Amino acid sequence: MRIIASFYKHEQVMFVSHLDMQRLFQRAFRRADLPLAYSNGFNPHPLLSFATALSVGYTSDCEYFDVVLSEYVSPAEFKRRVNAVLPQGVHIVDAVDAGEFKASLTPLMRSAEYDIELELAESVPREAFYAAVDEILNGGEIIVSKKTKGGIKDVDIRPMLLGLSVSEFGGRTAKLRLRGKLTAEGGLSPELLLGAFYKKLGTSANSSVNRRNIEMDWTVTA
Amino acid sequence: MDRNKLNRLIAKVEKPARYMGGELNMRIKAEAEFRFALCFPDTYEIGMSHLGSRIIYNILNKRTDTYCERVYAPWVDMEEQLRENNEPLFSLETRSPLREFNVIGFSLLYEMCYTNILTVLELSGIPFLASERGEDMPLIAAGGPCVCNPEPVAEIMDIMFFGDGEELVNDFMDVYAECRRRGLNKRDTLIELSKIEGVYVPAFYKAEYDENGNFSRIVKTEPSAPDRITRRIVRNLDAAEFTGDLVVPYMNIVHDRVALEIFRGCTRGCRFCQAGFIYRPIRERKPKTLIDYADRQLGCTGYDEISLFSLSSGDYSEIHAMVPEILERYTKNRVSVSLPSLRIDSFLKDDLEKMQSVRKGGLTFAPEAGTQRLRDVINKGVCEEDLLRAVDDAFESGWQGVKLYFMIGLPTETDEDILGIAELARKVSRLFYQMPKDKRGKGLRCTVSASTFVPKPFTPFQWEPQISTEEVLRRQALLRSALKGIRGVEFNCHFSETSRLEACFARGDRRLAKVIIGAYKRGARFDSWDERFKKEAWEEAFAENGLTVEQFGNRRIGIDEPLAWQHMDSVVGMDYLRREYLRSREGIVTGDCRLNCNGCFGDRCGTLCNMHKPDSVWEIRKKSGGSEHARNEASEKNAEGEVLSE
Repeated sequence: MRIIASFYKHEQVMFVSHLDMQRLFQRAFRRADLPLAYSNGFNPHPLLSFATALSVGYTSDCEYFDVVLSEYVSPAEFKRRVNAVLPQGVHIVDAVDAGEFKASLTPLMRSAEYDIELELAESVPREAFYAAVDEILNGGEIIVSKKTKGGIKDVDIRPMLLGLSVSEFGGRTAKLRLRGKLTAEGGLSPELLLGAFYKKLGTSANSSVNRRNIEMDWTVTA
Repeated sequence: MDRNKLNRLIAKVEKPARYMGGELNMRIKAEAEFRFALCFPDTYEIGMSHLGSRIIYNILNKRTDTYCERVYAPWVDMEEQLRENNEPLFSLETRSPLREFNVIGFSLLYEMCYTNILTVLELSGIPFLASERGEDMPLIAAGGPCVCNPEPVAEIMDIMFFGDGEELVNDFMDVYAECRRRGLNKRDTLIELSKIEGVYVPAFYKAEYDENGNFSRIVKTEPSAPDRITRRIVRNLDAAEFTGDLVVPYMNIVHDRVALEIFRGCTRGCRFCQAGFIYRPIRERKPKTLIDYADRQLGCTGYDEISLFSLSSGDYSEIHAMVPEILERYTKNRVSVSLPSLRIDSFLKDDLEKMQSVRKGGLTFAPEAGTQRLRDVINKGVCEEDLLRAVDDAFESGWQGVKLYFMIGLPTETDEDILGIAELARKVSRLFYQMPKDKRGKGLRCTVSASTFVPKPFTPFQWEPQISTEEVLRRQALLRSALKGIRGVEFNCHFSETSRLEACFARGDRRLAKVIIGAYKRGARFDSWDERFKKEAWEEAFAENGLTVEQFGNRRIGIDEPLAWQHMDSVVGMDYLRREYLRSREGIVTGDCRLNCNGCFGDRCGTLCNMHKPDSVWEIRKKSGGSEHARNEASEKNAEGEVLSE
């Protein structure tokens, strides 16, 4: 059977890398004594996959994985047993039996929403801050340097940006809500967007980023 | 440090998980009377792989009066962050600055970590030298194999622990707690502590040197301190405390698996091997104890790998019963089992094949020297035939990757011995390619590794010099050209400056503390990491103090000369080591002491070693003359190998 689960990744584990998260879950499943199904091949490994990776240093309220079990375990029991052995800061929020649903998770992703807290290096007037947000949204192309396989390239990330709003502003601190594309082909990097935003603002900032949601299209079939 | 500040700091460094803490099974205590910072002076991923520290962590935290927290050396990027932000180094459990602790205990596993001790102290605002630290400073302690020759760091440490830590660290805390409760000052506390067997308080001794600048003797300055410090030995290892629930790291560490020490000590007596002498006598854990540990550890960690380790796992008296049982018990749960340091014998062949069924591992053999003559000099006790048979078995079982470990610069080594290494590699290659194609793997991957010999205290070679850098390079070049063109064989060696310094610090004296500090001030850090090694920093530091690497590392010490570590009593007597040294010059092999006592403990053989008590497993086996004994003898003739999971 295949179980699809969502989980949160909070501050205590925000620096655990994607690869280490995979290992963290594999070990948790073993501690929970779950009947994992394994791949065939030279080095069999558990059939566990994540919808997407989360940048090291970000927190998230909503990440997805799916895992194949060799015997039936009710989703409620799965959730209870895994949560009992997970370290602090990681927790399964929801688990469902995938049943006849065969599609893998990554192609279902559409967009993601982030809450961003900023601590600006220097205080900025309210008008200037809102003007910078407006410029990001309505100022046309946002060209950033992006590391790719072929070296550093200039790319326009405006098409990836779906929304940016100010939830709170206090001169040196601010809270933003950011929405960007997130698909199997790639997505908006909050880090790159923030870099462009700081340029328009004329100052830098310390940021903490929390992914609050990934929008999935569950109607896609395999 | 508060969490937000820490997060901001570690967001800027490589591998932030090194500084995060909060791992599964980390010990949490609301409050304790005493705080102990257990520090491994290298990175998190190396320090977390050290079993001894994990045992000490568990033992200290089992005490109600003590909270033991972990500290590792910050990598250079983190050191920079801490300095820039004017933040002290902190413990992982509670993110507390080290000045807040009662004791900071360093694990000293290799000499090249010494500059990292200074990083830890400096980032904590603690003066380097014991003599510069007042009553308000934590007690600075050290344990681990480097304490065999404690002198190079003696002026830095307040107190050092010699030998097995399981009981010693508890004795230490008991006396320390008592002294604190009585309100004793530092000196009086140290006097009380020095009465514990295995405790060395360097400040109570003074070193003297002769007119040639060589060490001449050590003089006691505190009358109540012991004349010699006797190594602590845990008599009953089976009953000794172990690691408890293992802390499970988030990041990948070097030895990322459940590790069980099946026995301590080794009876083989290879003359270059310090571990073979300083962990004597051999003491085993019972199979039942080990299986209980394995069950418990696999259950509480979720690891899928377990390593049964020791200095020579094939010598475990129950190996033939235990390996199949462990395999039977765990392979169905997809746990892979590895047995490092194994003298391969045919009785284990089936088990080895089973071990591969979960995950294919690599295979390593350590003949150490290229000719029988030299293998006899070093008392390796294996012959070419055995090695070739073991390799042949491995090829037949489907292995196609083997590693062969050798040392360059062993005492009495000649060019013929170097060429012998290449000869051996050629025979291994031939064995593989002579096998019918359907019986063997596709292509051979035989890696020949050659490290540089480092003479170590408390071995029969402690008087021997290390060969010069030029000579090392010449012999490596000779070997490289001799290995050229052998099918499937790859040569892996690099001379590192670090083995030169290692030889120097292994046999150095008290004057070296100033050199370590001098090199540190010139930027030396993580010296065991070749890419970090700062040659000039060390050269300048030696010159500044009027000392040379060569006077410690490359000098032949006369067999009756004073040794800087002679006040340390490792129980294996100097007389015995001298005898072994002289036998090595004649190429005379000394037998495995499980068969006959060689008297290495002198008049303490009867009291400190259980091996030849009538009820010991070895004596019972000898008398019964049963098949197990025959197997032991047979296995003794076999090559030593190592099975590692990849």
